[in-house]
Amino acid sequence: MRLGVLLLVSAALLGPAREAAGLMRPAKTSGSPQQQQVRIDPEYSCVVCHTEKRRAFLLGVHSERGIRCHDCHGGDPTAFDREPAHSGVDFLGGLDKFDTVELCTACHSDPNQMRQYGLPVGQLAEFRTSRHGQLLLEQRDTNAPTCSDCHDSHTILPPNDARSNVYPTNIVRTCARCHQDAALMDGYGIPGNQVGEHRQSAHGVALFEEQNFAAPTCVDCHGSHAALPPQVVQIADVCGQCHVLVRRAFYEGPHGDAALAGTLPGCTACHSNHGTEEVPPDQIAATCANCHTADSPAALIGEEIQDGVVHATEDLRGAEEAIHEMVRAGRRVGDIEFRYETAHTAYLQVNQVQHNLNLDVLEELTRQVSSISRDIRGAEEVAAEHRWEHKLLLIPVWFLALSATVLAWFKYRGLEKGAR
Amino acid sequence: MNGPERKSRLWWLSQFWEDLKASTDPGVLGVARFLGLLYGPIDRNLPIDQALRKMLRYRLATHVGWRHVFGGITYLLFIVLVVTGVLLSFYYRPSPQEAYPSIQYIVSEVPMGWLVRGLHVWSANLIVIAVLAHMARVFFAGAYKPPRETNWLVGLLLLFVVLGFGATGYLLPWDQWAYWTVTEVLDTASRVPVLSLGVYLLRGDVIVSGATLGRFFAWHVIVLPWIAFALIVFHFMLVRRHGIAPPEGTQSSAEGGMRFFPNHLLHAFIVGVWVLAVTFSAAALFPRPVGDPADPFLLPETIVSSWIVVDVSLALIRYLGVWGLSLFTLLGVILALLPLFDRSPEVRWRHRPVAMVIGLLFFGGFLIAWLAGSQLTSAQPSEQMPAGESSEQVVPESVPAESESPDPAPAESQGDSGEESNP
Repeated sequence: MRLGVLLLVSAALLGPAREAAGLMRPAKTSGSPQQQQVRIDPEYSCVVCHTEKRRAFLLGVHSERGIRCHDCHGGDPTAFDREPAHSGVDFLGGLDKFDTVELCTACHSDPNQMRQYGLPVGQLAEFRTSRHGQLLLEQRDTNAPTCSDCHDSHTILPPNDARSNVYPTNIVRTCARCHQDAALMDGYGIPGNQVGEHRQSAHGVALFEEQNFAAPTCVDCHGSHAALPPQVVQIADVCGQCHVLVRRAFYEGPHGDAALAGTLPGCTACHSNHGTEEVPPDQIAATCANCHTADSPAALIGEEIQDGVVHATEDLRGAEEAIHEMVRAGRRVGDIEFRYETAHTAYLQVNQVQHNLNLDVLEELTRQVSSISRDIRGAEEVAAEHRWEHKLLLIPVWFLALSATVLAWFKYRGLEKGAR
Repeated sequence: MNGPERKSRLWWLSQFWEDLKASTDPGVLGVARFLGLLYGPIDRNLPIDQALRKMLRYRLATHVGWRHVFGGITYLLFIVLVVTGVLLSFYYRPSPQEAYPSIQYIVSEVPMGWLVRGLHVWSANLIVIAVLAHMARVFFAGAYKPPRETNWLVGLLLLFVVLGFGATGYLLPWDQWAYWTVTEVLDTASRVPVLSLGVYLLRGDVIVSGATLGRFFAWHVIVLPWIAFALIVFHFMLVRRHGIAPPEGTQSSAEGGMRFFPNHLLHAFIVGVWVLAVTFSAAALFPRPVGDPADPFLLPETIVSSWIVVDVSLALIRYLGVWGLSLFTLLGVILALLPLFDRSPEVRWRHRPVAMVIGLLFFGGFLIAWLAGSQLTSAQPSEQMPAGESSEQVVPESVPAESESPDPAPAESQGDSGEESNP
């Protein structure tokens, strides 16, 4: 028992101290030594009955900070009988959604308590602006989530812990608990297919298959505590948080004005919202034709853009193949790869500046890509010609081999005849 | 005084030649004999030039024919390998930083460097075929039987030397294909209890690294050449001593056999010219491609094999596992020990069923494994490689709120999962 008390005290005192000293354990590991040290005093009466809650709570981050059951639920943890333990003016028992918001924000809105952990304190203010907050706090709609619906009630973990519900690869599933429920979403006019679309999109593939945590989850576009669908005029800005150069090009062109005027749904007009995909180079004109009638000046611009991007893509791919061939043939390609990088940079710029529909800039960039790619392919053609010339060596080799064979054979036959 | 000057301005040369003949022991011809260039006994009572002429008049045994050509081809390819290997070593640098660029330099900048490397690679392949053909001829003709059982053992040691040359040379290009093939084979060999220490010493590190490259290079150009030289001389000496084994029911006789000079040498010349022409053609038409530089942190998507024995080893490892490799090696050991048990003079194949079955298993198995291995192009991850990031990020479907042990199940090592995914 003395050991238990000692561990409890050391956990309560050393935990924050170690964190303040920058010695915080890495959050991703499971079953770290420090976590195993955290114990609840066996004399603490709540855990005598609520054993399963004790287990869940010990996994979470609050147990390491000396927070205990009665801090949220009230009651008397020194009493061992049910009645006296579940009594007192502050006894709450199970918390409803409204109590939860109040209780969590009592600490999490207090800068003096959150400063040491580097946590923000604006969650409640943000929550009030969100659709979830509006439904819960204003319309008292208990279908809307409260803090514990996303963060769990007892096993509360920081977002950089891989076991947390709000870890990048887990948060989509957390949102999906409600948003994939078609019956529930029907009541709010929300389609229930966002999660599936996101999973298939370029963003979903990057996140789940390539483990690229720079790829956006639900909260990166909609906000987390302030979750709300972006307005039409905001879409390009939301995407532009990551796609900075595309956003700039977009606002430079005519579509940017239309988006600001609210007549064009920003990036999603061509790229969809949850199922975001790159438009394949050979589909650019077809995408333009979704809005612009054929033969219109706008459709012609689309065709010219497609032409330029398709050619640049083919040229760059040809250069890649040429470099590959040269590597296989044992040529040193350091300088050629350096030139390829220049072409590749220009190609990436092609993908960005096509969004401002300025054909002059586009043409200049595609010309750069094509010219460098042509040089690289030329170098490979010269090398291939040299390799082909190697095969010409076979003519003298076989000429010598065959004539040597014939001469030796005649000499041998002569010897045989002479012997007879 | 004027006489000799009128005869020739080079009289001193002929004088020197006469002195040389008079003072030289004909025994030095033994050097040429050891190197397999001359046959027949040396008559030490004659001056060296007459002894040489007498040796050239040597007649081969009547039963020697075209089927005995493979030993000579093997020797010719060995010489090609030595010459091209020495030329390559002028430019090759055995360090992880320089090995790959030096190969690039050899094949793209050095005049005829591509040809020298191509000849080296292709000779290394053809010598395996020649060695096995030679070995199969000896085996099925029962030529390993007394008194030639020592030479059978020497020949098998030479087979292992040839395999050792190829295996150590395979890593030297230091590209992805070489790196990961050697990694896989060493990993498998280290699972065999007896071999694991040897693999550790040979690798010199926990993964294939610069230490391995240095060791392989030393074995390839210093250790193995001396062993090979000693064994080849011993092999030839024993061939001279016992002669070529006669077929069943006949006795060795030189009467009426082919004359060594010039008839046999003309035959040998034709064969040599064709072997060289074929090797040249293979080198010019099918140069070994160069992979990407070796990277211990990146498993290549495909492996290109450029040595027959690699195909055979990979087929045994992938399809039969470590036991396949061990059993096949064991079959080789049985072949080596066969003359100790199979001592009867019987050489007719119908009367030697056990030996025939073992021989067919070995040579047939080699052929099948070669064909199967040439279809393999995928790369196998190393056991020494820590499980990748993907397995670290395996998390439980949902946080087990009711469970105290949140440890995710230990992710399977990449090696295991890779093995399952392979055919």
